[in-house]
This record gives sequence, structure tokens and C-alpha cells, in this order.
Amino acid sequence: MATFELYRRSSIGMCLTETLDEMVSNGTLSPDLAIQVLVQFDKSMTEALETQVKSKVTVKGHLHTYRFCDNVWTFILQDATFKNEERQDQVGRVKIVACDSKLLTQ
Amino acid sequence: MARNVSSVYIHVVDDVISKVRDEFINFGVGENVLTELQTLWEMKMMQCGAISGAIERPPPAQKPSGPITPVHDLNVPYEGPAEEYETPTAEMLFPPTPLQTPIQTPLPGTDQSMYNIPTGPSDYAPSPITDIRNGVDLKAGRPSPYMQPPSPWTSQRPLGVDVNVAYEEGRDEVDRGASDQPMTQDFFTISSGKRKRDDYASQLTSGGYMPQQDGSGDVMIEFLLPEYQPKEVQKSMTGRDRETAVKILSKKETEAAPVLPQQDGVNDEYDDLFHFQGNEDYNTPAEHVELRAATPAVGTPKPAKNEAAEDDEPPLNEDDDDDEDLDDLENGEEELNTQHLVLAQFDKVTRTKSRWKCILKDGIMHLNGRDILFNKATGEFEF
Repeated sequence: MATFELYRRSSIGMCLTETLDEMVSNGTLSPDLAIQVLVQFDKSMTEALETQVKSKVTVKGHLHTYRFCDNVWTFILQDATFKNEERQDQVGRVKIVACDSKLLTQ
Repeated sequence: MARNVSSVYIHVVDDVISKVRDEFINFGVGENVLTELQTLWEMKMMQCGAISGAIERPPPAQKPSGPITPVHDLNVPYEGPAEEYETPTAEMLFPPTPLQTPIQTPLPGTDQSMYNIPTGPSDYAPSPITDIRNGVDLKAGRPSPYMQPPSPWTSQRPLGVDVNVAYEEGRDEVDRGASDQPMTQDFFTISSGKRKRDDYASQLTSGGYMPQQDGSGDVMIEFLLPEYQPKEVQKSMTGRDRETAVKILSKKETEAAPVLPQQDGVNDEYDDLFHFQGNEDYNTPAEHVELRAATPAVGTPKPAKNEAAEDDEPPLNEDDDDDEDLDDLENGEEELNTQHLVLAQFDKVTRTKSRWKCILKDGIMHLNGRDILFNKATGEFEF
């Protein structure tokens, strides 16, 4: 089953990737096993986001760039505002990367 | 149920660890490696602030036993030897280096023997030089400073890039039986940590550490480690290699000698003659004085340069786009990769004239240095 690898770019994903890198460089772990860990991370992260998170966010901003390639939307926003129930964040520039949710359920 | 970010992350960590445990067992890798993975991962997350310092896990409902049936752990938070992973363990591991972890944790000694296998001497390169270096590596714990290549294992490791041609030829002897799969062979033996270090060393160092199979190592070894006579190297050379080694020896002598006086390029007086200033080297020195005195702003000195230097040529207009979005975008893109980022899945993206609307789900946002998770997001952007 294919997984979305995009969550590997998050903080938690990068920490895992770095840890696996170190362990493979040490020879502690084989690359095959490390890749399996990453694939499992993809699945676990996706599932956790579906089941454990319930918050809703609204985004507004100026769209500087949009790109749709290989079923992935990439937006670059300027002066964006992110609102959720608890707080509101303003950022000067933000990149949004979004994969097609239908691809997983096919 | 609503959980905060840290608890979701910890849940993910637990979930991943429990689900890869079987894989680790299938690969024959010990439990302590899994433990090390988890601990290192959590440590890094604490360092970058993804999770808060206190790792709270629900107290284990069952006594930690050896064979934990994975089926029970699927929907229940990881309840194995959780006590060992509490903050004290992370602190305990903080000062010592990761490689020393399996030695220090109070895990059964049976796993120690499994872990010792990778670090045992391999028969591939019996050079004592490598033994010493590996010993140093083990004790230092950190990967050697020259083992820096980023994730080489995710792509096929480019052993063929090795500049030492003779090294490759020497290896042919070893790989004769599997001549079409030297890469795979290395992956299989990757648990033999010593061999891997040899391979890295061959790529990255030009010093005398290499366990070379050929004669060219004579020069370097003699130069740096006088006590190791050429016979040390010849021991690992075969008859076939000697001829090629002799040829390469003369070539390598000139190439690999560490102290080669350079007459050109770096240390000559060319710079003084022409007052180089980065990429402005085609202008006269007088204008460089202007540039040096100019403010740090990139755009400021350029109009002055244009007027003076382009009188007899049609203006190239090369600076027209300099301060526009192009530069900002490039710089911004680099910054974006490290700053604000949203990773999600999209349900729908629509546009009406210049008004974009999108519906996203299951996303991780990293904004202003903090992580925010969402189940659903709606966006309205104006292009």
C-alpha cells in the first residue's frame, strides 16, 4: 500500500529521519529496516491525524504562487492568517503542500 | 478525543515503535536497537520543541514481560517496559553518546552479544589501522567526523565514485563470485560496521587510514605511519593486483602526496593586481572603490556601475529584475523550507477568477516555530 511521504517533512518526521540516518551510518540499522520504519511512520501519522485530531482551521491570505504537479498542490501565501479555536497566527510567507486525499482511499 | 500536539506525537512514536518491533525481530535486530531508536527520536523531538519535556505515558496495566504479544498493543498505548523510557532514561542517554547506549541500559545481556557482532572484526580488511580507528570510533561513540554523507543509504551508495581506481580493482578479487552486485553485497554486510566504515573512509579521506588492497597505499602509509611497512599492505595484495598497483603507484605518488606545492591559482599575486571583488572582476579598480564604500544594500551601487560601464554597448538591462519577486522568491523559498510550512491533504481546490478556495484535511502546520495539527482546514486566497 502506498503511503504519503509528505509528513516526513514535518518536525516529527525530520527527527525520525535524522535518527534513522545516524543509526544507519553507525551500522546499527540496515537501510531496508530504516525504510520500513519510515513507511510505518507514514501510516501511523496519517492515521493519528485522522483519528486523534479534531481541530478546524481557516486560512486567509494572498496567493503568491500556485502549482499542481503529480497530484500535489503547492501554494505559497503571503501575509497569511491562520485561525483556529484557540489562537490566531500571522505569517509573512508560508508554503502549503497538499496531496490528494482521494489517492489513499482508492 | 481532543489531544494536544505532544500527546499525539507521543502516540505516533509509540504506534510506530510497536508496529516495527516485529520487523526488527524478523531482521534479527535486537530490542535494544529499537529502544535506542525510540529514545533518540524522542530526544530530537524534545530538542526541536516538537514535544514538551515531560513524556507522560499511561502507567502500564500489565507487568512488562519478555514476549509481548503485539496484537494487544495495537489499540492500547504502549505498555511494555515503559518505565525505562521515562525522562530519566533520556537524561541518562543525553551525556553519553548513542553508541554507548546498549552498554549502559539495564537490558538483558543476551542482546549484547547480538550487538557485538556488527562491531567485531571483519575479515575483509585485516589492517590494524582500521582496527584502531574502529576502536576509537566505538569509544567515541559518535560517527567519525568524516562519515557525513547525508542519507547515502536511501539511494544506492555510490561506491563506484571512489576515486581510488586500484581500490576497486582490489575488490574485484573479493567480489569475483558476485561481480554484478557489489552494492547489494554491501547492504547485506552493512551490519558489519567495520566494513561500512572502511567504505566511507575510502570515499572521504585521503589520509593513510584506508585499508588499501593495492600498492599505492605504500606511499601514504609510509608517509604517515612509518611503523607500518609496505609488507602490511602487500599481505592483502594478490598477484594480479601487483602489476596494476605498480602502474598506479607511480601515478598516485604524484596525485596523492599530501604536500604538493601549488604555483598557481590560490596563492599567486593575481588578486593583488586586479583587486578582485567577487563577481565584479571585469570592472576597473576605480569602480571597486565605489563598491566597497557602498552600503550593504545590494541594489544601491548597481546604477552607478551601469552608467559608467555600458556607454559603448547596448544596455544589457541585467539588473531589471534583481529586486523583484524573483530574488525574493528564491530567498523566500529557502527560508520557507525552514520556516512556515503546512503539510496536508486536499479534498477540493477551486478557483473563481482570482479567488481560490480549498478544503484541506489532516494537516500538520509549523508556524512561528510551533506545530499545530488540524483535522480540517478551509482556505481562501486571493491571487
